[in-house]
Amino acid sequence: MLRHFLLSRLLRMLVVFFIIVLLNFLLPRAMPGDPASILANEYNLPVETVRILRSMWKLDRPLHEQFVAYIESLFTGQWGYSYKYFPRAVYELVMERLPWTLLLQGTTSLTVSTVGMLLGVLAGWRRGTRADVSITVSAILVYAVPYYWLALMLQYAFGYVLRIFPVAHAVTPGAVHASFLEYAADVLWHLALPVLAVTLTAYASYTLMTRNSMVDVLEEDFIFVARAKGLPERIVMKHAVRNALLPPLTMLAIRLGHIVGGAVITETVFSYPGVGYLIYESIIYKDYPVLNAAFFMLAITVIAANFAADLLYAAVDPRIRYVRRG
Amino acid sequence: MRSILREALHTLFRNKLGLAGFSILLAFSLMAVLADVLASYDPYEVVGPPYSPPSDKFPLGTNDIGQDIFSEFVYGSRVSLYVGLTAPLIASVLGTLLGLASGYLGGLVDEFVVGAVDVMLALPSLPLIVVLAAYLGPSLNNIILILAFFGWSGFARVVRAQVLSLRERPYVEAARAVGASGPRIMFKHILPHVIPLIMANIVLGATSAILTEAGLSFLGLGDPTVKSWGQILRRAQAGHALDQGLWLWVFVPGLGIALLGTGFTLLGMAIEERVNPRLRFTRR
Repeated sequence: MLRHFLLSRLLRMLVVFFIIVLLNFLLPRAMPGDPASILANEYNLPVETVRILRSMWKLDRPLHEQFVAYIESLFTGQWGYSYKYFPRAVYELVMERLPWTLLLQGTTSLTVSTVGMLLGVLAGWRRGTRADVSITVSAILVYAVPYYWLALMLQYAFGYVLRIFPVAHAVTPGAVHASFLEYAADVLWHLALPVLAVTLTAYASYTLMTRNSMVDVLEEDFIFVARAKGLPERIVMKHAVRNALLPPLTMLAIRLGHIVGGAVITETVFSYPGVGYLIYESIIYKDYPVLNAAFFMLAITVIAANFAADLLYAAVDPRIRYVRRG
Repeated sequence: MRSILREALHTLFRNKLGLAGFSILLAFSLMAVLADVLASYDPYEVVGPPYSPPSDKFPLGTNDIGQDIFSEFVYGSRVSLYVGLTAPLIASVLGTLLGLASGYLGGLVDEFVVGAVDVMLALPSLPLIVVLAAYLGPSLNNIILILAFFGWSGFARVVRAQVLSLRERPYVEAARAVGASGPRIMFKHILPHVIPLIMANIVLGATSAILTEAGLSFLGLGDPTVKSWGQILRRAQAGHALDQGLWLWVFVPGLGIALLGTGFTLLGMAIEERVNPRLRFTRR
């Protein structure tokens, strides 16, 4: 069962990866002008250079050979040059942004899932009480709040009016940090608002999901038996939670994907120097090679997060109830 | 049809949250229909000095080129409602057909649909939507098609699950026994029972369509010729509205998105709860 589960998830990951790669390959080629001629126009490159670039990227070859070359280049990091920052290599531009995205999205994923599941467990356990109603109703109300809007309002309140938290960047620009600790504090200080904005909105779907799952589990026979045996409520709750968290955990993969994917907007609002903000910048400057590479990197991050969550699920659920539940 | 209507009204008046959602939607629909009356200006016309603070003449102030923000807001409700209804509607047709086929026919068709749904769920949808919108160019209908393309899988999943449980019911078997054809069973006997669930999902899907369209417009990937709420937010952000203390410029369109989204969510949940009673607050 475990093998079947892992194999099917691996297969899905590969299919998703292939779709991303294929789109990344086809979309730029459907546009007028190839990268070499665009660079040539923009920077008045000599004919010889253009010829070399063309043959290097195999732009003069048939499409299937280009595809093979493209796949090769994905693994060697030869991702071409930025239109905007020529002659800087795309690979370099993307890689210096990646750690910031991992930091921001990793932190957010952690806070969102923890807060969301805790509240969901509480609401489900106290079903029908005022605690349940207030948690569930506020989650429903928050569910449709655009996180970038909340982010903007938090910026206004904490950044412009109260001046407690910075509204942009990942570290104070131009600051010289005396020690690593001071640097870390600066980074955390810049992390506060983006993490807060996403957490305050994205926790809602986890909470609703966990609550419903908790409600389901609490109606099951084994809980009835546990209560009939006279087990203390604390133990009953432990039994219930262990089972109730499984469905939210399967969804964790997809939700993580959504949160990380949201980086494009979160990072743009906070001018946070991650891959998502790079996507925004490259759209503005029509810097297509960078757009593709940044998208590729973000997609890989999402796929990796998905797979990690699948592994986590496999580790937590001893049965690996991998039933295709429509 | 009359019974569906009665059922709908019944659902609404028994469920306070659903009623609240319905009222919100009604209010915004009125705003969209009466936009010409409610808005004092043409939202595309320059009617005052740029960056005017809120005043009697301009309740929310003017934007960076001197257009009235309140009029932009009023007309923006049309765009959000349009996107919120069309995208999930197209997605539902596609998803329902695939879900019906997959659940009823089984076999290879089912394998394929289930696999495709699984892949769709795992795709990094927002980055993908952003990149597609960047390449396809800014047009509202392109965005709607992209959203529909990313929305069908949810419908297919829900419909398939329903069909699987319905097809073994005695009345379906009876229909099969008297010689009803496959398509007839699917559309005449199974589909009507799936429709309430599809309706719930269309209404719920509206929220994410509205949020995504606004997000795309906010990123500058929206249709610049159409004044949507996301577009207002984009101008506010580009014009450093918050920096200058013009917070209403950001607050009101965002609140519009949030309220409209909440309206759809509440109504969708009310319908869903009716279809699936275990989600209720109280034990019965």
